Amino acid sequence: MSILVVLLSLAAGAYALAVIERWAVHGHLSLTGPAWAALALLGRESLLARKSDRLFFELGPVLLLVAGLMAVAVIPLAPGLIITDLATGALFLNAALAYVLVALIMAGWGPNGAYAMIAGWRFLGQFIAYAMLIVMPITAVAMRAESLSTVEIVASQEQLWNVLYQPMGFILFVVAAMGLAWLPPLDLPDATGELAGGVEAEYTGVRLAVLRLARMVIILALAGATVTFYLGGWLGPWLPPWAWSAIKILVVAAAMLSVGRYMPRIREARYLALSWKLGISLALANIFVVGVIALVVPI
Amino acid sequence: MTVQMIFLAFFGGAAVWFGVVVFRTHSMVRSALALLFSQTAIGAMFLVMQAEFLGVLQIMMMATEMSIMAIFMVMFMMDPGGLGGMDMSHQKRFSIGAGVSAAVVAIAVALLSDWGPAAEQVVDAEAQTRALGMELLGRSMMIFETAGITILTAMIAATAVAIPVQNLSSKDDKEASE
Repeated sequence: MSILVVLLSLAAGAYALAVIERWAVHGHLSLTGPAWAALALLGRESLLARKSDRLFFELGPVLLLVAGLMAVAVIPLAPGLIITDLATGALFLNAALAYVLVALIMAGWGPNGAYAMIAGWRFLGQFIAYAMLIVMPITAVAMRAESLSTVEIVASQEQLWNVLYQPMGFILFVVAAMGLAWLPPLDLPDATGELAGGVEAEYTGVRLAVLRLARMVIILALAGATVTFYLGGWLGPWLPPWAWSAIKILVVAAAMLSVGRYMPRIREARYLALSWKLGISLALANIFVVGVIALVVPI
Repeated sequence: MTVQMIFLAFFGGAAVWFGVVVFRTHSMVRSALALLFSQTAIGAMFLVMQAEFLGVLQIMMMATEMSIMAIFMVMFMMDPGGLGGMDMSHQKRFSIGAGVSAAVVAIAVALLSDWGPAAEQVVDAEAQTRALGMELLGRSMMIFETAGITILTAMIAATAVAIPVQNLSSKDDKEASE
């Protein structure tokens, strides 16, 4: 039952996100726009490049969708409303999202096109930049909760949300999450206007629809992870828990979709240098500070 | 128990099959990703055996490691896409001998070791994770710290080896900007 509810809310969330993204990119709000765009994609011819790696070409978008769904499985929307409450939930989320990289390499390599291939390998460079900054802030979150279970992590923020308890971790995590979901200014894998769509360049029709849907699911999963780890999950006054989850996730997702559009795209080498020289030092400092606070002031 | 055995056999078979695909394919990327899915299947075997933390860790680590290996395989091989039908195997007689003897040793170890009684009841995943942490920061700390320092040394050494190349590229950048 809760699986069905989570999947339905995921579908609704993905649609809402598509509306918001359209709004952020084109500047006008259209509630039916994404539906028409999806219908158009379904009706369009699905082209197959010559000498493509057919297996990777077909599997790339599907694996991307599966990775996103797996990540969503450990995000609690309300007490009891979670697909599976794993004891290693926070680690499982990482494991699922690691396959975003695999899927993008497959989708980039598959169609035998230069733009797509460059984009796929670029994402590997980007991955090396963001990967540690996803894991290390989560370590500090798990340290406070004394558990890797996402439900426990939300419960640990009853007194004080993690965004106030460890603000540095929050900033690092959100930036790394934007890199993972290849959102601007870290959108090297599709790099509109530079790589002609990158990974998406050779996809048309139904396959492109799956790819875009998968990306929306990944953004939702990451917004859900941000809310779970830092913004107190379903916790909040007056409204029912699921409403708080929905509001927080949509606000975080909308912020992630729109904020970066006003910055220039960051080259992967520069992103790497920033992440490793500055980001990892800050993440280590964050772990240390959280450890000291957890030992000295128990909240 | 039987359902568990069926799944275990399925993922074991998948791991072996993907391992075979590594050498049967012509494409470097397919080869690397087949190795990745072989390792993922082993992670799934851990999950079936209710070793949740180890399984999830295996599934996570292999995705990234094998993808990074894929780009090196593409960079260094002359026919990464396998369009020329390159053969993945070489030194055939030696490899077959090494493979067969390694398999014999592994099977002998599996059959001849005294594994003790099979655990019927498994402690829950949270207790397992805790026990693993205690082990890593207790009795086995020295071993893991040594391994960690070794890897760190290797990383620093590799970076040091790569520095002249970096200097060349930065000189190029400077010339380009002038």
